Amino acid sequence: MNVNYPSDKVQAAGAAVRIRRLEKRFQSVIAVDGVDIDVSAGEFLALLGPSGSGKTTILMSVAGFEFPTSGSISVGTEDLTYVPANKRNLGMVFQNYTLFPHMSVLDNVAFPLKMRGVPKAERYARAEEALATVRLAGYGSRHPNQLSGGQQQRVALARAIVYRPRVLLMDEPLSALDKNLREEMQLEIKRLHAELGITVIFVTHDQSEALTMADRVAVLKDGRIQQIGPSRELYERPANLFTAGFIGEMNFINVTAEGSGGNISVLLPSGERWQLPASAAVEPLTGCQKAVLAVRPERLQLGDAHNGFTFRVKVDDVVYAGSASLLIGTLPDSTEIRARLPGASDLSALALGSTAVFTIPKEAILLYPGAAQ
Amino acid sequence: MKPALDRGSLALGAYVYTVLAFVIIPLVIIIPMSFGQNDHLEFPPSGFTLKWYAEYFTSRGWRNATWLSIQVAFLTAICATLIGTAATYAMVRGRGQLASLFQILLIGPIIVPHIALAVGLYLFFQTIGLSGTVPGFVLAHTVLALPFVVFTTAAALGKVDANFEAAAMSCGATRWTAFRLITLPLILPSVVSSAFFAFIISFDEPVVSFFLSGVRQKTLPRRMFEDIEQNLTPVIPAIATLLIVLSVAILLGAYAMRSRARS
Ligand SMILES: Nc1ncnc2c1ncn2[C@@H]1O[C@H](COP(=O)(O)OP(=O)(O)OP(=O)(O)O)[C@@H](O)[C@H]1O
Ligand SMILES: [Mg+2]
Repeated sequence: MNVNYPSDKVQAAGAAVRIRRLEKRFQSVIAVDGVDIDVSAGEFLALLGPSGSGKTTILMSVAGFEFPTSGSISVGTEDLTYVPANKRNLGMVFQNYTLFPHMSVLDNVAFPLKMRGVPKAERYARAEEALATVRLAGYGSRHPNQLSGGQQQRVALARAIVYRPRVLLMDEPLSALDKNLREEMQLEIKRLHAELGITVIFVTHDQSEALTMADRVAVLKDGRIQQIGPSRELYERPANLFTAGFIGEMNFINVTAEGSGGNISVLLPSGERWQLPASAAVEPLTGCQKAVLAVRPERLQLGDAHNGFTFRVKVDDVVYAGSASLLIGTLPDSTEIRARLPGASDLSALALGSTAVFTIPKEAILLYPGAAQ
Repeated sequence: MKPALDRGSLALGAYVYTVLAFVIIPLVIIIPMSFGQNDHLEFPPSGFTLKWYAEYFTSRGWRNATWLSIQVAFLTAICATLIGTAATYAMVRGRGQLASLFQILLIGPIIVPHIALAVGLYLFFQTIGLSGTVPGFVLAHTVLALPFVVFTTAAALGKVDANFEAAAMSCGATRWTAFRLITLPLILPSVVSSAFFAFIISFDEPVVSFFLSGVRQKTLPRRMFEDIEQNLTPVIPAIATLLIVLSVAILLGAYAMRSRARS
């Protein structure tokens, strides 16, 4: 019970987390490969990436359940790299609730206070308070198995925040819940974050979850950060081909690009040539090279809208989906193109097999060096 | 399809009842024999007497042997449960590459013939003076009981989410506190039931005890063998009956613990 318990006065909301050159190897596997992340105090950061990209390993290194091969981790002004997990004073929520099945809900929530030697009466009062924070006041005497999945996860949340840690770590906390409950819990966690001002690091492989919840999202692949930035930036200007393909839907067209002065000229598979503004190139292009033209399906406009480039698409399928319709088609060189058209669009002319004209607004085009697929 | 199934279930039924018969017939014979009046074993017994029970309870030799066996079984239960639970924890939760080697070593005593183990221990204990001593018996029986403890607790530990302890540690608990307050209470029924098993295994272990018993320090099973060779009076069925009652009581206790664990 030699854990510091921050008194009510000094419990300033969140603390900054600094991860420097973090590397973790498991024998020959490099799980995390030189990751730098700065989370500012009170920020909500999501770690997003495909399976095996190292998200859990990074989080466990911050939590103290894995010790890095090299690099450092600090919270506030304290270097925690090799501090044992139980001395870090961080809140943690696991994927499978991990409520202690032999204890009542109240005892579960009071557990961190018990570990800190808080007297019984105060312990229970504060546990009740934490339960109220997650809207479970009055559930204290139940046992975890008498609660629904969502309620259990709320209890886990209450247990993680009851001693007011300055950082809350969550590893896919909502992936065991069904869709409706998940959305409800997303709001709940957002609300808690706003209310407590705590720093949150949230692991998920659900991109919409990451984009809607986090202030900033770190996209990971093979143990490296691909991009880290606010949701909007990630979506509207992905920093590289991986992020462009990983976040949201994206059309990719292989082209040959040639930069000259303020303009870039791209040669499409159809033989057409478009002049793009230099800002279209996300990474600088050099001379004449293979490149990928990327555009979001919802940026394509049906017909000639006179504000960009037009191109022809053979219509393969039209899927009606209420608020928007999805058109799937192909370019003459059989590159697949998807377009999301507002629900009110007149689609009567789009017979399967016919050719449709689309406009790409100039500012919707992004250009990356390399080739798709 | 149906007739084949019927023949199959018929064969299975016959097999099961045959096995049951072989298990139960000795009990049916031994219990009445312990009440027989004659000095030699006979079935069906003639008359009814409790004198063989009285002899068992009043004879100093039987009492000493029983007391030794109880001491040894009790200490064995404690040692085997402590060591077995700790070893199982390391095996199930540890990341070490030695885990599988460790497992083989722990399970080994089930495969090694007891007689081989007994001879080995006999020669070894003779030279270091442990033969015929309580610590000697306890050591030997602990080795024999460990596999059962490991099996029982490994099954229980496998069902306890390893993240419980991680969660407890993130709440500020040390690893030991996390084990004591979270994992141990969850596997406790299995731990207690494995202690019962270890007690029984030690209490009626004949082979190793036969080799390790000294002139004065004899366990109950060893004493019974001697008696069978020399006298073979109905005191043997009387003790056997008492042992059956004790075993059934302990196994029922272990069973109750385990069904509590399941609920
Ligand atoms: N204890 C371990 N021993 C060996 N390799 C490990 C260990 N933990 C993780 N790895 C490996 O490290 C890499 C990163 O794993 P990690 O669990 O961090 O990925 P993740 O991004 O959390 O994936 P997921 O979305 O599937 O949870 C993977 O290749 C994984 O196989
Ligand atoms: Mg993971």
